[in-house]
Amino acid sequence: MPSFETKNFGPIPYQPEAVLKFPCGLPGFEDRRRFLALNLEDKKPLLFLQSLDDPGLCFITMPVLNVDPAYRLEISENDLDLLGLPTGRQPQIGQEVLCLAIVSLEEGGPTANLLAPIVVNLSNLVAVQAIAEESDYSHRQPLLCEEYAVC
Amino acid sequence: MLIMSRREGETILIGDDIEIVIAHIGRSRVKVGIRAPREVTVIARELQLVRDQNLAAAGVEPSPGVLSGLIARLQPGVGPPRS
Repeated sequence: MPSFETKNFGPIPYQPEAVLKFPCGLPGFEDRRRFLALNLEDKKPLLFLQSLDDPGLCFITMPVLNVDPAYRLEISENDLDLLGLPTGRQPQIGQEVLCLAIVSLEEGGPTANLLAPIVVNLSNLVAVQAIAEESDYSHRQPLLCEEYAVC
Repeated sequence: MLIMSRREGETILIGDDIEIVIAHIGRSRVKVGIRAPREVTVIARELQLVRDQNLAAAGVEPSPGVLSGLIARLQPGVGPPRS
C-alpha cells in the first residue's frame, strides 16, 4: 500500500483506489488534483481533505447536511458532466454523491462554504467544487449560532 | 455605475479591444459573450469569492485546541439553518 507523508498527520498509508480525482483542481488550487478524504474517528463530524500533491495542503470539511439538513444541490450542467453524472437532474446526497462544505476558521468564528460544496461522485470518485450559480447560499455560512457562542 | 440597455445580439465595447455580446436573454438569466485579449482575466464574481475563500481556508493551520473546541461545539446538533 503506498504511503504519503503529510505535514499535519505524518505518513498516511492509502489505497490508490480511494483517491479522489479533481479533474480541474479547486479554485485557487487548479493544479492540486488528487486528494484523500480522511475520516478520523475522534474528529467527527469533520473530514479532512488532504492533497496528495502538496503535503501541506489540507482542507477541513464537513458534510453539508450537517451544516444544513435541508441543503439543496444546485450543480451546473457543466459540473454534472465533469462528474460523469446525468444532466437534467440533481444527484442524491449520500446515495450518488458525497457533498462536503469547506470550513474556514475565521476570527469571527468558523464558517462553511455552502455556495461551493465539494461534490464527489461515489461511483467513480471524480470530484469538483461545484459553484451554485443560482443560489442564495453563502460562501461564509457561520457554523455556530450566537447562542452557542455565549454558552 | 454606467447602466446600458441592450437587446439580444447587441454588443458593448470597453476600450479598444474588449467586446461584450448579449448572446441570449432568458427568463431569469442572460448569456454574455466576452471577447478580450488573452492577458485580461475574465471570471464570474462567485468564482473569485470561492477562490479567495479556499486560499483563506487553506492558509490557516488550526491548533489542536481550536479543532477540538469546534468539534465539541458541533456535537450537540447541527449548525443554524440558513436564513
